[in-house]
Amino acid sequence: MGKAEYKVEGGKMIRVYLTKKNDVIEEVKITGDFFLHPEVFIEELEEALKGRTLNEPSLTELIESLSAKRDATFLGVFPRDVARCIMMAGAKDD
Amino acid sequence: MTEKWRLLDTGLHDAFYNMALDEAIAIARSRNLVPNTLRFFRWNPSAVSIGYFQGMEEEVDVAACKERGINYVRRRTGGGAVYHDREGELTYSLMISEEHRLISRDFQKTYETLCSGLVSGLRSLGIPSEFKPINDIVVAGKKISGNAQTRGMGVVHQHGTILREVDPVLMFKVLKVPNEKIRDKMIKSVEERVTSVNRYLRREVGFKELEEALVDGFKDSFNVELEPGGATEFEEHRAAQIRKRKYATKKWNFKR
Repeated sequence: MGKAEYKVEGGKMIRVYLTKKNDVIEEVKITGDFFLHPEVFIEELEEALKGRTLNEPSLTELIESLSAKRDATFLGVFPRDVARCIMMAGAKDD
Repeated sequence: MTEKWRLLDTGLHDAFYNMALDEAIAIARSRNLVPNTLRFFRWNPSAVSIGYFQGMEEEVDVAACKERGINYVRRRTGGGAVYHDREGELTYSLMISEEHRLISRDFQKTYETLCSGLVSGLRSLGIPSEFKPINDIVVAGKKISGNAQTRGMGVVHQHGTILREVDPVLMFKVLKVPNEKIRDKMIKSVEERVTSVNRYLRREVGFKELEEALVDGFKDSFNVELEPGGATEFEEHRAAQIRKRKYATKKWNFKR
């Protein structure tokens, strides 16, 4: 399992735990002291990330579009920060 | 005529009830059973709360909590881990209809508006505090209050802490530190970054005095009447239920 931490400048902390197969996400857990409304969107997002390829721009786009569809709002971190931390964790899972 | 809100002081309770009552009040508010509400409460025993997205084992030294009889609970709001000391902390919560003039669609703006009551109350005590985005109140650059907000069922629920006294040594006995080597450094850093009402004013401010100042601060900034009242039967019943089924369960507290 790969684990990464990323503190957004002027914002909050994200931690990601991830397992991958080749470059595809198997399991992912996103924790941290950020805000996200509605809160349950995090579990939906973790589920939606399974089976996705570890590619930063496409992960950013996915998180952005899923958030928009759900009318979900991050505070303290942006979707791109979450994507970046996922990539960092992915790089550590070997 | 000034609009009337309810003022609750529910005193000392365990962490599970405290979190459950906030949620029960939010439900009651969403059904229009109660007016907008400002609640003050404290923690007995002392407790650690973590944000909705945090990992319990990640943030909290559970064994150290058990040893000291300290509760640990997951909040329904995001944000960070907080140590709530029985004698050191006053906690407030606000349950307000999302339709209210004070509520903006913008979360950041709403934090600032709702925190203005605390800022005004602290200033009346002689503490020149100010709101610091995202969710803090600081005085002379040091944190004195942390706040967290959620929304659901048409209700905005914000709760937060006001530090009356702070004990960083105890704080890091129950909160996890990345490794033992930096424990002292983290304690020192909290001493530099965090202050309290008593420390800033260099006198002992009682809970009653602090609460009265904050009540006046909320009245002035929100332009509302605060009428002292109690929790309704519905709220008490729901709180007991939510405490048992959610906040006192391992399933909820360790779900992340």
